[in-house]
Amino acid sequence: MRVLVVEDERDLAEAVAAGLRREGYAVDLAHGGDEALVKARVYPYDLICLDLNLPGVGGREVCRELRAAERAEGHPPPRILMVTARAGLDDRISGLDDGADDYLVKPFELGELAARARALLRRNGDGRTSLRVGTLELDPLRHEASEDGRPLALTPKEFALLRYLMSRPGEVLSEFDLLTHVWDENANPLTRTVRVTVMTLRRKLSGSPIETVHGAGYRLREDG
Amino acid sequence: MRSFLRSIRVRLTLLYSGVLFGVAALLVAGLYLGLSLSVRDEPVSQAVIQQRVQVNDGPQTEERTFVDAQAFEHQVNERTLRNLRNFSLAALAALFAASLAVGWVIAGRVLAPIAHITDVAREIQARELSRRIELDGPDDELKRLADTFDSMLARLDLAFASQRRFVADASHELRTPLAIIKANLELALTDMQATAESRASAAAVIGRAIDRMARLTDDLLALARLDAPTAGSAPVVLAGLLEDAREEFAAAAAARAVAIELDTVAARPVLGDRDVLKRAVTNLLDNAVREARTSVHLSHGEDGSWAWVRVADDGRGIAREHSESIFDRFWRADDARSRPGGGSGLGLAIVRQIAEAHGGTVELLPQPGEGATFLLRLPLAASPRLVA
Repeated sequence: MRVLVVEDERDLAEAVAAGLRREGYAVDLAHGGDEALVKARVYPYDLICLDLNLPGVGGREVCRELRAAERAEGHPPPRILMVTARAGLDDRISGLDDGADDYLVKPFELGELAARARALLRRNGDGRTSLRVGTLELDPLRHEASEDGRPLALTPKEFALLRYLMSRPGEVLSEFDLLTHVWDENANPLTRTVRVTVMTLRRKLSGSPIETVHGAGYRLREDG
Repeated sequence: MRSFLRSIRVRLTLLYSGVLFGVAALLVAGLYLGLSLSVRDEPVSQAVIQQRVQVNDGPQTEERTFVDAQAFEHQVNERTLRNLRNFSLAALAALFAASLAVGWVIAGRVLAPIAHITDVAREIQARELSRRIELDGPDDELKRLADTFDSMLARLDLAFASQRRFVADASHELRTPLAIIKANLELALTDMQATAESRASAAAVIGRAIDRMARLTDDLLALARLDAPTAGSAPVVLAGLLEDAREEFAAAAAARAVAIELDTVAARPVLGDRDVLKRAVTNLLDNAVREARTSVHLSHGEDGSWAWVRVADDGRGIAREHSESIFDRFWRADDARSRPGGGSGLGLAIVRQIAEAHGGTVELLPQPGEGATFLLRLPLAASPRLVA
C-alpha cells in the first residue's frame, strides 16, 4: 500500500512517514501543494494524508484537484485523509465536502492515524479487518499472515506485497503496478527487486497461489 | 408603595398632574380672590334689610316694603362667588383626574422605547452580539440612545470576533508543534528497535518544537502586555538602542554568515518605553537576519518631527501585494517566505502594535529588485521648534 504524506512541517512529515513505514506502508513525502499534485499524477497512491494549511496550492484545492483528476484504468482513486490543526465544525464539513474520506485533527496519535489508514483502505473490501483469499489470511493490524491457519514468517516487504496482492485478488498486476504500490519513490525501477521479493514470498508459501501471467505480471488466485 | 414609586412612569405621571393641578389651583384661587375683593358680599344669613315705609298717599296709608338695592346686590354677589367656588373646585378635581390619565398615557408612550431597549439588552449575551435594537421613530434623545447602544454593540461584536479569531489562530499555531512532539515521542517510545541515534534525532526534533512553542508563547505574552497601558515613557536615544539590538543578533547573524551594518547619527530622542521599542527593532532585525543572503543594513535618522529606523535585508523580498498583510497576526505567505527559521507569525504584528502605541507607523517600503526594507517611524520627543 502506497501512501503520500503531504505536510509542510518537515519535522511532522518525517514523524508521520516513519510511523506509517513501520506499519508496512510505502511512504512518499510532499512538502507543498504543487509537489503533492505532481507526485499524485505520477504515482497511483492508495492513501493520501493531506494537510490543509499548505504553502502554495492549499490543501482544499489539492483535494478538489485530486478528485477531479482522471485516474488510469484499473487504479481505484486514492483515499484522502485530511490532517489539520483546524478543528472547527465548518472546517471539517467543508473538508469532507471537498472530497476527503476522513478528517483527523492535530495533534493526533500516530496510533489513531494508522487505524484510520487501515479503516480507509479496507473500505472496498467486505468490511472485515483481516483480508482472506482462499486459504490465505492477513491481518494488517497485527502484522500477521497465515496459510491454512499456519503462520507465515514474512519480512516487511513480503508482507506488504502479499497485502497488496490480497487487496486485488484475481487481477493481473504488472511488475510496475507492484513497484508503485508496494515500494516508495526511492526504489530503483531498474532493479529486479519486485521479482526477487515475489520469488522469496512464493518460497514461503506451501501452495502456489501467485501465478505468473507471462508478459503481463502476476495474479493471486482467488481460490488461494 | 415604595416599589410603586420606583417606576418612572408613575413618577412622571404624578409630577405632571401635580404641577398641572398646582398651577390650575393657583390660577383659580387668584381669580376667586380678585373677584371677591372687587365686589362686597354679605352672607345670606344677614337678613335682608327691609325698610317699611309708610307712604301717605292721599287718604290711604299704604305700607310698602323697600329692599335696599345695595344689600340686594351684595346678596347676589355672595351667591355668584359661592357658585364660582364650587364650580372651580369641581373643575379642579376633574382636571386632576384627567391629567392623571393623560399623564399616564403620555409617559407610557414616551417611555415605550426604553422598555424595548431594556428587553433587547437583557436578551443579548456576550456570545450573541449580533442583535441590535434598531429603534424606529424620530431622531430624538431615545433614538440617539438606542443608536449609540447599537454602535457600541457593533464595536463589541467586532472586538469579540477578532479575539475569537486570534484565539483560534493561536491554538492552531500551538497545535502543529504539539503534533510534532506527540508523533516523535510516540515513535521513540514504541519502537523497540529504536537506535540511540534515532532517539537522539527525535529528541532534537522535539527540542525544536518546544523552542517554537516557547517563542510563540513569548510573543503572545508580549502582545497581551502591549494591550495593557504602557508602563513608562522616557526619552530613548535610538543610536544606543540600535547598537544593543545589533549586539543581540551578532551571534545569529554570524551563524548565517550575514553581516549587520549599522549607521548611527546624532539624533534627538524619541519618547517611549525603551524595552518595548527595542522589541520592535529586534523583531524587524530578527526577520531581516533570517531572510538576508549576505547583509542587513540598519540605519536611523530624523525627518521633520519624526525619527525613523530603517531595516533592510538583501533576501528574497516580499511581494508588493503582501505589503499590508504581512503585519497581520499569523499571516503567512503562499510562497516560500514562510517561517523557515521558525518565526512565531506574530513578530511584525507586534512591531505594528508597538509603533501605533507610540504614535508612530511601520511600513514595508516599495522596493524594486530584491530584499525587503522596513521603515519604522516614531514621533520625536519634543517638537523641533521647541528645541530650536
